[in-house]
Amino acid sequence: MLQEYYLPHSVADALILLKNNNGQARIIAGGTDLVIDHQAEKIKAEAFVDISNIEELKKIECADGVITIGAAVTHSEAARSELIQKHAPALAMAARSVGSLQIRNIATVVGNVVNAQPAADTAVVLAVLEAEAEVNSAAGVKYVPLYKMYAGVCKSAVDSTSQLVTRIRFIVPQRNQGTAFVRLCQRKALALPMLNVAAMVSLQGDRFAWARLAMAPVGPGPVRAIEAEKMLRGAPLTDETVEKAAQLALESANPRSSMVRGSREYRIGVLPVLVKRALTAAVARAHTN
Amino acid sequence: MSAVKREEQVVEDSKYNVIGKSVRRRDALAKVSGEATFTTDVKLPGMLYAKVLRSPYPHARIKRIDVSRAERLPGVKAVATHKNTSRERFNTSATMTFTVPHLQPVLDQYIFDDVVRYVGDEVAAVAAVSEEVARQALKLIEVEYEQLPAVYDPLEAMKEEAPDIHAGCHEGKNVPGEVVKIALGDVEKGFAESDLVIEESFKLPVQKQAQMETHAAVAQVTPEGTITVWSTTQTPHPTRMILSKVFNMPNSKIRVLNPPYVGGGFGVRIGCSAKAEPIAVALAMMTKRPVKIVYSREEDFTASDTRHGGYARVKLGVKKDGTFHALDIKGVLNGGAYCSFSSEVPGVMGTMTLAIYRIPNENFVGYPVYTNTTPCGAMRGFGNPQGNFPLESVVDMAAEQLGMDPLQLRLKNIMKAGEPWCLPYPCSSTGLAECIEKGAESIGWERRGKFNKPGATKVRGIGMGVGTHVSNSWPFCVDYDNAYITIEQDGSVQLATGVPDIGTGTSTSLPQIAAEVLGVELDKVNITFGDTANTPFDIGSHASRTLYAAGTAVIAAAKDARKQVLEYASELLDTPAERLALKNSTVFVAALGLTDSCSGSGVCQAGSGKRTSVTLQEVAAHAHLHNKQFIGVGRIVPPNSPPWEAHFAEVEVDLSTGQVRVIKLAAAHDVGKAIHPMIVEGQIEGGVLQGIGYALSEEIKYNDKGKQQNYSFHNYFLPTAEDVPEIDAIIVESNDPQGPFGAKGIGETGLVPTAPAIANAVYDATGVRFTEIPMTEERVFFGLQNKRKC
Amino acid sequence: MSFTTLKFTLNGEPIEIAVSPSDMLVDVLRDKLELTGTKKGCGKGECGACTVIMNGKAVASCLVPALKAADAEIETIEGVANGAAHPLQETFMDLGAVQCGFCTPGMIMSSKALLDDNPQPTKSEIREAIAGNICRCTGYVKIEEAVEAAAEKLREQR
Ligand code: FES
Ligand code: FES
Repeated sequence: MLQEYYLPHSVADALILLKNNNGQARIIAGGTDLVIDHQAEKIKAEAFVDISNIEELKKIECADGVITIGAAVTHSEAARSELIQKHAPALAMAARSVGSLQIRNIATVVGNVVNAQPAADTAVVLAVLEAEAEVNSAAGVKYVPLYKMYAGVCKSAVDSTSQLVTRIRFIVPQRNQGTAFVRLCQRKALALPMLNVAAMVSLQGDRFAWARLAMAPVGPGPVRAIEAEKMLRGAPLTDETVEKAAQLALESANPRSSMVRGSREYRIGVLPVLVKRALTAAVARAHTN
Repeated sequence: MSAVKREEQVVEDSKYNVIGKSVRRRDALAKVSGEATFTTDVKLPGMLYAKVLRSPYPHARIKRIDVSRAERLPGVKAVATHKNTSRERFNTSATMTFTVPHLQPVLDQYIFDDVVRYVGDEVAAVAAVSEEVARQALKLIEVEYEQLPAVYDPLEAMKEEAPDIHAGCHEGKNVPGEVVKIALGDVEKGFAESDLVIEESFKLPVQKQAQMETHAAVAQVTPEGTITVWSTTQTPHPTRMILSKVFNMPNSKIRVLNPPYVGGGFGVRIGCSAKAEPIAVALAMMTKRPVKIVYSREEDFTASDTRHGGYARVKLGVKKDGTFHALDIKGVLNGGAYCSFSSEVPGVMGTMTLAIYRIPNENFVGYPVYTNTTPCGAMRGFGNPQGNFPLESVVDMAAEQLGMDPLQLRLKNIMKAGEPWCLPYPCSSTGLAECIEKGAESIGWERRGKFNKPGATKVRGIGMGVGTHVSNSWPFCVDYDNAYITIEQDGSVQLATGVPDIGTGTSTSLPQIAAEVLGVELDKVNITFGDTANTPFDIGSHASRTLYAAGTAVIAAAKDARKQVLEYASELLDTPAERLALKNSTVFVAALGLTDSCSGSGVCQAGSGKRTSVTLQEVAAHAHLHNKQFIGVGRIVPPNSPPWEAHFAEVEVDLSTGQVRVIKLAAAHDVGKAIHPMIVEGQIEGGVLQGIGYALSEEIKYNDKGKQQNYSFHNYFLPTAEDVPEIDAIIVESNDPQGPFGAKGIGETGLVPTAPAIANAVYDATGVRFTEIPMTEERVFFGLQNKRKC
Repeated sequence: MSFTTLKFTLNGEPIEIAVSPSDMLVDVLRDKLELTGTKKGCGKGECGACTVIMNGKAVASCLVPALKAADAEIETIEGVANGAAHPLQETFMDLGAVQCGFCTPGMIMSSKALLDDNPQPTKSEIREAIAGNICRCTGYVKIEEAVEAAAEKLREQR
């Protein structure tokens, strides 16, 4: 049963609180998923260590071509950040598409990743940005690439009773590069995606230098379309290429059937459409970047 | 509306003071300031909180139940099970109180039973000092179940080998009550005489009311044994009758009231609010303390009535010139685990679908069927949408085969006032032709079929659907109504009516009616409603009846009070009562009129020195000092009148994902007369959006273990503000000869022909006919794929 | 269960109250402070009935641990009318935006957070602001109109 609720003002204090509680305390940021899981007794904790009052974690910064998003940054803040809108509009869009404004005003982007939901919208974009997380613990700081943050379906590789993800960072897309995000959902608000896809492309003249594609929920976390990406390397910028990539993306996807959010067959049927749309939008974006 | 007609309308309206005016709702201030009290807000000293243990199995016998550990948990005050609660059979729906005499109500429920029949069925309930303690106590109740075979589909449940869900089904396997049969003419002959016969089968989803306030009740038992229950019911008086039966108490010792506001209903609590009231009362009796129960959203979804899903088959016979000649409809509706309104819903499905067109040969047969799913009962439309979507789809199919414009085909066949039909009351009025004309103009019907370029990935289409409904529940249920009007000693007016205001604005529109008939200012009228202790009997807010039936009673009461006032004033003014009028709270000699010189002075003098007017305030005060008060009583049996509606949808279909987006929905409604036009529009707009949900996204599914998959707002896809298309609510007034001031029912029609309008638009856009709703992206995607394959 | 003293500002007044770490803000408001204007339609952040304004932002108070509100400025429906009805309350009343009224407090709080921050919202900004507030009665048409009209009233007042 929850006995304490801490609101530390520094990362160091947060880590001490975790340590002093010997695995009984757990990090909470926005908490929008965590409190529900806690009420449903899906997670147990004696104490919550709330990091939303830690000033240094509330920032979105850009330095040396790297954008850093603090762990207390909410979806609303990310969606409205000029920095993110300018450099990674797909991420802003993904942040905007989560839940509702009342949720986005509390829920954090980093929490969306740490929570390890298979269809997390921002995580899909962060996957193509090849973001990495700054993970703090008693042992020090380490950087973990996004794809290593998932230990299984709804299972994070981060242990929130001893580790604190302080930031997430990614390299700012360059000239001739663009990102895009598309989402298929049953209504425009308060809905998890049936499918979401993010693309990032780097163009070289009339060819793809390279492209990255991430899709969800077709596996435990965002799944990269490895086969498609391979084919796209150096491929000409044509409709045929995009079409081929869309079909190849299926080889990396293993969607489940959900009675609520679409059968496996349907998801397989429309995934290429979304991949096509994401790729096309990313290319358009790259042309203007 | 033509200029001449509009002028007539203005003249017409100007003869009223408050009727036809969108005055500020009298509940508005309380609601926008957060002061309005709902059942979930009620808190009493010493109050306990209840939580319910629910069945994890779709069908099982409780072999053993041990509550001793739960009872020992500190803070727990009582645990109720089938062993220590009433063994009186009942039906949570009000049908048990107003089933028409030649039929028997189906009583198939106990508060708790030793057999559970769906996932979520009640097993036990705990009353404790807090919700948290009650929740912990539930975990300490030990139950041993013997699982029984379960069935979820009504067609399966009708098969001989299916498990029996209840004993005593005399009309067929798992069929509660009676099979509903309606016949007119000779359909077989009719089909033989038709030039074209179209037959199609349809599948219908389970929709959920999803009203915003979950079911709740607070019960208090006095030391003398009288019971008070605050609850979210739509029907305080019938709910009292149910409780009286369950607890074997006289009606008079039970008070059921809303506190006074109810966070929506849409049919889900006609009768008890699921089992909130009986459980709260049982626990209050056991503990001698007030007990509050509030359903969680998940409980509201899984353990309270839904709309009936199921199957419908429509066969329509048409002559070459487009005249409809024969119509045969069969419905098999999933009634869920308990009967609720399952005996009545097929009747409304049949009659409302048969009543739209003039067809000499008609036949309907409707089966309600028990299954091991959440019980199905009343939801806005009450069977009508289930028949309307199939029929209105088939009408479009007929139009295509005949090469006729579906709009013209409908105009040719729609019911006319006074024509014979399947209902036992006359078709008193219809403005459907005008609805069709106005809706078509709003949507731009002439653009139909001219949108799409070949090769487009997003295509557009336009479609329509028409329908009717009832203005109260007779002849499907007993329906009568009462109202009291008291003229207070200062000339202000107290109106008492048993109906609640579940959000539909009756606590504003009924005072409007009273004020109009009495000739007093609206702000002089106060209303008491939704409380059995101080209002006369009324069957509640449902069946689009509240304004129509209660309004008729209010008119009668107001006329009665008015007559008493005029008779009394006749002596004061020395003029026969028939020659007096009452307006602006002043009684005056009608022939002399209420002149300006009278205003303010209260009493006017004619040349002779004789008084020609007197204020109501003076009359009332005079009467009071002479030992008299004016109390008007209205006791009526309402007639019934058909409202009519035509919906037009413009949609866009994304061919590559199957997503359908409604761009505009024009909804023209013949409401008879809009007493409060803004409330009427609100009813239409809200109904339309529920209809769009029914057509496109709202559906409760059960997995193979009988568990609901869509039990929260998160995974039940009712529309949000970002999903709303342009909605054009168009009011058509046919001034019904029977309804109060010409009004007809408007509570339910908003969602009746919405689904077929959208399905017909999707067909227009894609050439694919969807016979199963909702038209989710997945269904449409595969529907389009199948077409491409052919 | 341990109790902690929670201090925050509620509708302009300082508040101190003992809460437990697992208490949610909505329950503290409704049960402990008896401000029942804030409604609870789901308890899971899916309906918006419990919306309050926390430090200028609309939040679902059923998802906010009470102790998260430490030192915060919280506004609830009870604090919206400042002597006279707020323009949003006026337009909700006059334009038919209220039916059963259960969603109304949350709707008004979401709309107020929007208008406090953005005096000239577009239609789509209004929709975004209230998309997390389910209303099953109105079809949202008149609510949207009321928010637009209130924005205009507020601009005139400024
Ligand atoms: S009660 Fe908080 S969002 Fe529904
Ligand atoms: S007015 Fe009833 S839910 Fe909005």
